[in-house]
Amino acid sequence: MTRIRTGAVVAVAAILFAACQGTATTPAPTTAPTTAPASAPASTAPSAAPSAAIKEGGSLVVGLPGDMVLADPSLVSDSNSSYIQTNVIEGLLGVKPGTLSDIVPVLATDMPSVSADGLTYTFKLRQGVKFHDGTDFNADAVVYNYMRQKNAPKALRDAYNYYFGAVFGWAENSNLKSVDKVDDYTVTMTLGHPQSNFIIAQAPLPQFGIQSPTALKAGDADNPDPAKSKYAQGQGTGMVGTGPFKFKEWVPNDHVTIVKNPDYWNKDAMAHLDEVIFKPFADQSAELNSLQSDGGIDLAQTILPNDIASLKSDPNYTVIDRGDSCNYGGLQMNQTHKPFDNLHIRTAIAYAVNKQSYIDAFYAGLAEPADNWMPPATQYYKKLNLPTYDPQKAKDEIAASGLSADQLKLDFYYPSDVARPYMPDPKGLAEAIATDLEAVGFTVTFHTEGWRTGYLADEAVGKFPMWLLGWTCDWPGPDNFLVTAFFHFDGDKPNPEFAYGPPELKAAFDAGLSAPDEATAKAAWEKAQDILATGLPTVPLVHSKPPAASKSYVKGFLGAGNLNEPLWPVWLDK
Amino acid sequence: MIKYIIRRLLGAIPVLFGLSIILFAFVHLLPGDPVTSLLGQHATPELRKEILNQLGLDRPLYEQYVLYLGQLARFDLGKSIINNRTVAEELALRFPATIELTVGALIFAVGLGIPLGRMAARHVQGWQDGAVTVISLLGISIPIFVLGLTFQYIFAVQLKILPAAGRIDPRLHLELTTNFVLIDSLLTGNIEAFVDALKHLILPAIALGSIPLAIITRITRASVLDVNHEDYVRTARAKGLSERRVDSRHIMRNAWLPVVTVIGLQVGGLLAGAVITETVFAWPGVGRYIVEAIQDHDYLVVQSVILVFALIFLVVNLVVDIGYAFLNPRIRYS
Repeated sequence: MTRIRTGAVVAVAAILFAACQGTATTPAPTTAPTTAPASAPASTAPSAAPSAAIKEGGSLVVGLPGDMVLADPSLVSDSNSSYIQTNVIEGLLGVKPGTLSDIVPVLATDMPSVSADGLTYTFKLRQGVKFHDGTDFNADAVVYNYMRQKNAPKALRDAYNYYFGAVFGWAENSNLKSVDKVDDYTVTMTLGHPQSNFIIAQAPLPQFGIQSPTALKAGDADNPDPAKSKYAQGQGTGMVGTGPFKFKEWVPNDHVTIVKNPDYWNKDAMAHLDEVIFKPFADQSAELNSLQSDGGIDLAQTILPNDIASLKSDPNYTVIDRGDSCNYGGLQMNQTHKPFDNLHIRTAIAYAVNKQSYIDAFYAGLAEPADNWMPPATQYYKKLNLPTYDPQKAKDEIAASGLSADQLKLDFYYPSDVARPYMPDPKGLAEAIATDLEAVGFTVTFHTEGWRTGYLADEAVGKFPMWLLGWTCDWPGPDNFLVTAFFHFDGDKPNPEFAYGPPELKAAFDAGLSAPDEATAKAAWEKAQDILATGLPTVPLVHSKPPAASKSYVKGFLGAGNLNEPLWPVWLDK
Repeated sequence: MIKYIIRRLLGAIPVLFGLSIILFAFVHLLPGDPVTSLLGQHATPELRKEILNQLGLDRPLYEQYVLYLGQLARFDLGKSIINNRTVAEELALRFPATIELTVGALIFAVGLGIPLGRMAARHVQGWQDGAVTVISLLGISIPIFVLGLTFQYIFAVQLKILPAAGRIDPRLHLELTTNFVLIDSLLTGNIEAFVDALKHLILPAIALGSIPLAIITRITRASVLDVNHEDYVRTARAKGLSERRVDSRHIMRNAWLPVVTVIGLQVGGLLAGAVITETVFAWPGVGRYIVEAIQDHDYLVVQSVILVFALIFLVVNLVVDIGYAFLNPRIRYS
């Protein structure tokens, strides 16, 4: 018996010894960590690093939460595909790197001129630009790209060609009536009625980029079955644009490689890296371990706030602050469920929640308390001075509501199995909120559903009385938050999700959406925000900035709150 | 023997048919639908209905099942709703990765398990036996997830001697022809890539092989001890044969039988364990494929891939059964 015990002890000791090796070799930080955010404040030029000369060349390996879906940007609506494709596909307009809504002309030479009635946009196109396959960029290419989406086969529309439909609609129902070539380098786009988001919706999205018509045709890109389209499958062709990088290869589930385009038309924005390789990771811990190992990834596009602490104190890594937020996390409510039909109750909840405490606990401080249904960097944002943390005022509002304690029971839903940029820890957040609510007199009962097994489907039809949800912007315009995300109307009927829709709100939306000029748009959208502030249909909580992290030799990375992050400014200091 | 094989293969057909019904029911009765994975929060209730209609998913279940059977009869395994890659294509991409992983895990489990088992049996009740017992216990009780992440943390993050994840460093630009990284690196004469691929294989193979290691160790130990007591072994020793001769000619040959059984059974377990290992080590294999397809409600993918798995499992078991006949001439099939 003693011999077995000895053997057991030996085995256990060996294992413990191996494990302790790890902790013994943790490097102790000796100097103050150089973890000042690698992204410069919004408008600084990317190469303004005074102390280091930029080194050309090298491979950057980027970890993403998932793989690219298809190699044709017009057929994808997920953030991973867009993240990659932004580097190879350009549109007529774009967003200045590191900013959320500084719109600049890219393949157009200037911002478009607009007719007085707001119906016709005229673009002057850049000359001497070639696609990655050597063919010329010109008006024919622009017309081809827009028309193929407008006339997308039915099988591709809803499920794949989402963005074109969301902004314009398809075929005869499209508000984009025509795209016409005036001459080789002039194009006009004509709308059915004015559309105030025409520019801001298209500029950040590679879905509105211009791809080589030659390559699209050769790759059978318009096949109603993407399984049969070589272009969409990214095998041998795909993503042929005009950008600073060109598409090299895609091994599905393993990596996507883009390489420097030495013939890029914009000599001020040439890529420094030789190539960028994107690797998908299904597991956040695995991605973090890869970042912290030798020969693993160089940049993790998204890390969980809880992982920041270990990286911040290590000089070998940089935690990247993404600048302006482009998302919203909120406590949603549906007014067909009592007591959420009572404004005093909704106001009481707004006073009861301690937003800053949630930010400290669950967002590692990388968020700001929300004072609006859209983040501050959104077009036409205004401060609304919504209720802030004040438990006494919360109790006063409850008293004013005239409801008895029995009627203060709240059913609170949160998703059981997901982490979103605006709520990295739904369960923790729900529990913290419930604590604050119960402190002022509410009783909270929790319910959960799986994200993909019913949460989104059920909340959208108004099944939940109160739940956690948010929105990451598609484009930084007020319509994307206030209308697309939240309070859209179906005819005169308000979105069943919240069952809130006073007619004056619809009027403000209609005026804002079809405003022919900026002044009208601003007035209408500000009015909409004021109406929401008075009605307080839901309680905005946070605007977060999910962090990225990289090895400290990665320089020049400019983070953006909506993950629109061209990688041409990046270089490796090694 | 041939008749036996044919009978077994024909018998597989009703099994697969019944399995297809169960799979179809299971997958379609899961709450949720593929629209959330397609469009995320962009899916309004109207869009959801539209898309389900376009995909034919709002038709009655029996109709969808019959259509599926028709597809299978044409050897069409279907395609993914999410990324539109055909199942056949995706399997061709992913299977080699899983095979490399499971073969690596098996080599680890068998290569270490059998010697450990024999050592434990030879020094039964000794300290070696105790150490092997503990290792087996740990192998079988520590979840692969924990083991994998711990290995990653110790060897990749702290010691930095092995890579954390993936099959090979993408910076090496290995051209894939067979999709077997080890083979392709040898085919192109790229020794650096071969070594790199081996290094990437070590941690996931050990993590995945931990459970089979534990089982094979114990079975080998038990089997050797068992055979040790047989009359013919005592006779061999009495004849004056060297212990090594006794061991190789008499003990191991007979001890193999249960071990081979277990190895065959482990194939199923390995595929299951591969799911977790592939997630932790970002290994692009079929295990991960199945899990993603289930989460995405990618119905055709789940149905077709599991049918393929079942077919493989049936074939492996057949091979194991036939292997018996060679190992033990007394076993004959008619």
